[in-house]
Amino acid sequence: MLPPLKVERYNIFPLLTAWYRSPRVKCGISAPDGKNSMTHHASGQTVAVVDDDPAILRSLECLLESADYRVRLFASGAELINSGCLAEVDCLVSDIEMPGMDGFALLRQVHASRPELPVLLITGYPETIKRLPADNQGGSRVFAKPFRGPELLTAISDALRSIQ
Amino acid sequence: MPTSYAVVHEEQHFFPSAVSPGPAQKRLALVVVLGLLVVFVLISAGLLSGIKTKRIDAFLPAYLASMFVCDSMTAILLFVQFSILRLRSTLVIASAYLFTALILAPYILAFPGVFAPSGVIGGLQTAAWLYVLWHCGFPLFVIAYAASKDRAPTKRLSRRTTLVAIAQSIVLTVALVLSATFVATVDEASLPHIMLDQLRFGPQWPYLVGAPIASASVAALTVLWLKRRSMLDLWLMVVMVIYLIEVPLSYYPVPMRFSGGWYAVRVFGFLSSSLVLVVLLYEIQTLYARLLGAVLAQRREREARLMTGDAVAASIAHEMRQPLTAMVTTADAGLRFLDRQTPNLERAKQAFKNIASDGHRAGAVVATIRANFRTDVRERTSFDVNELIQEAVVLVNGEFQKHRILFRAESIAQLSPVTGNRLQLQQVLVNLMMNAIEAMATKDEPRILSVKCEASEHDRVTVSVADTGTGIRTADVDQIFNPLFTTKSDGMGMGLSICRAIIEAHEGQLWVTPNRPHGAVFQFTLHTSHPTSAEMISLPGVECGSTVSREHQPF
Repeated sequence: MLPPLKVERYNIFPLLTAWYRSPRVKCGISAPDGKNSMTHHASGQTVAVVDDDPAILRSLECLLESADYRVRLFASGAELINSGCLAEVDCLVSDIEMPGMDGFALLRQVHASRPELPVLLITGYPETIKRLPADNQGGSRVFAKPFRGPELLTAISDALRSIQ
Repeated sequence: MPTSYAVVHEEQHFFPSAVSPGPAQKRLALVVVLGLLVVFVLISAGLLSGIKTKRIDAFLPAYLASMFVCDSMTAILLFVQFSILRLRSTLVIASAYLFTALILAPYILAFPGVFAPSGVIGGLQTAAWLYVLWHCGFPLFVIAYAASKDRAPTKRLSRRTTLVAIAQSIVLTVALVLSATFVATVDEASLPHIMLDQLRFGPQWPYLVGAPIASASVAALTVLWLKRRSMLDLWLMVVMVIYLIEVPLSYYPVPMRFSGGWYAVRVFGFLSSSLVLVVLLYEIQTLYARLLGAVLAQRREREARLMTGDAVAASIAHEMRQPLTAMVTTADAGLRFLDRQTPNLERAKQAFKNIASDGHRAGAVVATIRANFRTDVRERTSFDVNELIQEAVVLVNGEFQKHRILFRAESIAQLSPVTGNRLQLQQVLVNLMMNAIEAMATKDEPRILSVKCEASEHDRVTVSVADTGTGIRTADVDQIFNPLFTTKSDGMGMGLSICRAIIEAHEGQLWVTPNRPHGAVFQFTLHTSHPTSAEMISLPGVECGSTVSREHQPF
């Protein structure tokens, strides 16, 4: 007889997680820099970012903070919904391909409670953009990775200006 | 040349003159022989005695023409086969059929009443003697064929000499037929008399015709039996039995031409002439079908490999795009921090650090992929199955994201390393995972792919890939490993037959069972380099690597 085996879930990217972990992504409201932004005047508006890749979250946090936004990071759509802070968010940037709830499903859920909330989608699969008309009820803009940071920032500030 | 030898050896497996007959063929031959014997017994018991047969002038030309067509076609097919196989025995048997085809010409010319009332050539005895030479000649050729079989493998001919050999055989056979015709026509007067008149056989018939034909046929049958090996041997034996049956049938119960027995002999003769032709044609068709199947299977496999390759490439592209996006975005952010009126050096520095770390991540992805494809196909190494799973997951991780699939991996910490070709086994895992992804892609949630590895027997590791997809229908379970079978319209992810071939080459097994409540579990076993430490503790009496029941029947 075999002794009871120790079964453990192992991480599929041991190499990669080593790098993810080193400056660990902070989840929560980041303090705005307080300094003047060159092109975007965010005036402390809050942008929520949802992506299952920690490196993307960290880079978007950095970019958005450089434009003086408050940033909230979420690893999944469910995490954002369950956080209860959807009401405080002014804009949402979400990845499309995520396990469980994908970007489109998240968009539907978010728009059910906050139909006016600007949502920007990002995708690692450029072909996803082709099937947008059927899924993109909110008319959200989609950016293919790797996108240009200034373009994303302009889109965010335009979206925020349009609802004001 | 060694290469041409190798080619000839491989081709040999596909020709009836080289392939051994299966049990079905043997049974069929037995049934044919028994059927012929039954017909023979019925005829000799007086089945045809009540039937008054008449002389039909059109019968003989029609009969001989069809015999000529059958025999010459058989000869052509066998000559062609000889030009491919280059076995002397095939040349001999091809010449035998050419001989029987050619001798029909003088026979019909000499036969009284076909073209002229007493025949165009020769005299009263000519046709009968030609019949004797024909029916003795063929068994003698068969004996020569059987005798030349053993020398065949060592005495192969070059391609150029093949054509020369065919030409020589044709010339020799024609010469033989001509000399037989010469003896039967010019020397007709000096030959012993077989025929009393144009219709009746003389009392010498059993000794001059029956005995030589019967003894030659029995001798041929004996030699064939002793040297029997191929399908052609089997059917030639049947032909020899027919020759043997023809002898008494020609003489009893009525020893004359155009009797019931005589007509029956012609029918038997036609059967003996067409039998090998039918077998050859059947084999050619079967061969063609098999070839077509193989070509189609190969094409499917190639397409499947390309499709899986596409998906893996897309996955790798995604895997690279993620760190690139992070790097570009962070770089943009860093620039913005520096572009401020009062540059935020602290944040810019942090951004550069992040870019470097993302760059290393991209480098790690590239390194993993390179390691994945660098292995030599024949190289076998010892490695941890968990590592294998991790490497395969890197290749398809993008697909998990794209199709929103939750990936679970379970493993035993102290699993023994396995021995095998890392690249091939990785391809198997990638293939199985791609299939699983595809099975779930069209289904509603939950989409969960679990890969598990565990020690199964004392020297084995079982890896299972379970999905919650559409599953495999019971009717298809036996079929899915067939290279021609697919349940998919576009055939992507096919290659289960390749997977099974790879696993079997590793002395393992690959099988599928249904997953509960839905989906499928593909499992395969691999040999460990040495038993797991856990088992060595629990089974102290078992020696390392000892062979306890390697037969593991999955179904």
